[in-house]
Amino acid sequence: MKSRHLLLAVAAALFMIAVSLLVGRFEAYMIGAVAVASIGALALNLLIGACGQISLAQGALLGVGAYAAGNFGNAGWDLLALPAAGVTAALTSVLIGLPALRLRGLYFAIASLAAQTILEYLFKTVEPLTKGISGLVIKPMTLLGTPLVTDQAYAALSVVTLLITWLFMVWVMRTNLGRAFLVVRESEIVARGMGIDVARTKLWAFVASGFFVGIAGALMGFTTRLANPEAFGLPLSVDYVAMIIVGGIGSWGGSIIGAAFVVLLPELIQRLGEFLNVPNVLSAMRELAFGLLIILFLIFEPRGLAALLRRLRPVAIATAAALLGRKQSWKPQSASRRRV
Amino acid sequence: MTYALQLAVAGIAVGSVYALIALGIVLIYKCSGVVNFAQGAYAMVGAYVTYFLITIGLSPVIGVLVSMGIMAGLGALTERAILRPMLKAPVVAVMMVTLGLLIVSQAICLAIWGPDQIAFPALFPSGSVEIAGIFMTYNYVATGLLSALLSLGFLAFYRYTSIGLAQRCAADNSRAALAIGIHVSNQVSLAWAMSATLAGLGGTLLATLNGLSLGLADIGLVAFPVIVLGGLSSLGGAFIAGLVLGVLQSFTDGWLTPILEDFLRAHTSIYSVGALQQVVPYALLVLMLLVRPEGLFGRRGTERV
Repeated sequence: MKSRHLLLAVAAALFMIAVSLLVGRFEAYMIGAVAVASIGALALNLLIGACGQISLAQGALLGVGAYAAGNFGNAGWDLLALPAAGVTAALTSVLIGLPALRLRGLYFAIASLAAQTILEYLFKTVEPLTKGISGLVIKPMTLLGTPLVTDQAYAALSVVTLLITWLFMVWVMRTNLGRAFLVVRESEIVARGMGIDVARTKLWAFVASGFFVGIAGALMGFTTRLANPEAFGLPLSVDYVAMIIVGGIGSWGGSIIGAAFVVLLPELIQRLGEFLNVPNVLSAMRELAFGLLIILFLIFEPRGLAALLRRLRPVAIATAAALLGRKQSWKPQSASRRRV
Repeated sequence: MTYALQLAVAGIAVGSVYALIALGIVLIYKCSGVVNFAQGAYAMVGAYVTYFLITIGLSPVIGVLVSMGIMAGLGALTERAILRPMLKAPVVAVMMVTLGLLIVSQAICLAIWGPDQIAFPALFPSGSVEIAGIFMTYNYVATGLLSALLSLGFLAFYRYTSIGLAQRCAADNSRAALAIGIHVSNQVSLAWAMSATLAGLGGTLLATLNGLSLGLADIGLVAFPVIVLGGLSSLGGAFIAGLVLGVLQSFTDGWLTPILEDFLRAHTSIYSVGALQQVVPYALLVLMLLVRPEGLFGRRGTERV
């Protein structure tokens, strides 16, 4: 990572924090929701995009984070509730990942589907920890003794956590472990031939991914103040896989774009529906648009919005130059640079 | 003893519907290498289409037959329009596209028929029959028998007819199949068409038992433990595993759940174990994947670098 990128990311995060502290409740809530989804999408992209382990248990894992954070937070663990939820989810993630040591690709995807179902069932039945179907009421999170009660504060906290997560992802892919992830994704047999311990590499991917998913889940729990089993079902898992597909598999920037897209799209359609006055078919319309988008993206732009934007950039610059007037004889530099 | 038999028979009836759905998934997987998460969507759409046809005045038999034709068309269309362009896409993309299909078809059914459960028109006479102390409604008997017969008929078709032979060739080695003059891409479309038809019928039968709702699509996910247990590439295995899991679920519901709840109420603060019968197949799935990933009847493949 160039230091320019690092500065840019920190500046963007500071800007978003400033914005979220200034705007109203709803806007702050949306910023927080996008940031939390981005953390989850980054973590899932580490598992699917970098290491090639397709998981459909993301929703349940977020639930584990939320329930853990709720229990730790209610017990008065203060800020420690976040990492504690991360560790709980990381341990669960390792359990989910155990079948992956013997299975590949689709078979593991099916195993993770089983994990999702079993965890959902546990959320409903282990009442001492989860309060069953009625859901676990979570007290506001305390930060060094002061309770966080405003949506603005949670938005700022989520943006900070997102920055940390992003830095971790960029850093880990520069280590030997990160490179090992990529080799395992491409071919486990080649990885073994290169002397990479495939099982250990996969387990680390599950640990790292699970930790950040847990933190995302914890933030979800603290912002909604309630963790109930319905919220962490298979549709949530599908949402997250959709985020990284729409954004771009294996692209960190894409994860954030995808998360923003999937979180904000229903809001947009909601507004559109209210504007057109068709509340009855609204939920059907939302689902339809979501499903169609997934299909269309996969067929026409399988590398996601990140790749689309990258490809459009030279075009956009050229158009801008043409619009600004021919006098300056402006050459689209980035287009020619890209070819070298 | 009678109670156990009763449970077993009920389990077999539901299990044969599972088998019908699972057969479709295995057929598609064998022919095109796609694991179809949208199989439940076919079941749901098939049931809604049948419902629609019967409510506009067709007799049930004709309605079911016409809906089978429509489902076959839908299956082939899915393959041509959506899966064909994704021939070289990575596994996760193909899996996701089928999940997208599931979402879209649920949304369409939601928009047309609404979220509420609908009473399905009776396909079979009401009433029940008693054999050796076991009470069965005609609905259950007919559903179980029909699904089992259809599954077996399909297996026989696949095994003994020339189209079945061409299907097996195309699934086994598509290049060799092309070389001996089999139109492989037509065979793949045919596989999708047959699989959608089977699922649509399964959905219709299930709707006669449980009523018509969007939740019918869930059976596509219940089918995964079935195909893993039987082996992802074994049609016969899918049939047997469907029956086994149906019976297992029925016994869990009628036997294990009460025992477990008594125990938990006596010793812990947990009052109910919830829908345990829905989780048991998945627990079995994980166990199976850990012990014998290729399933009871599957073959272990080799992998080239």
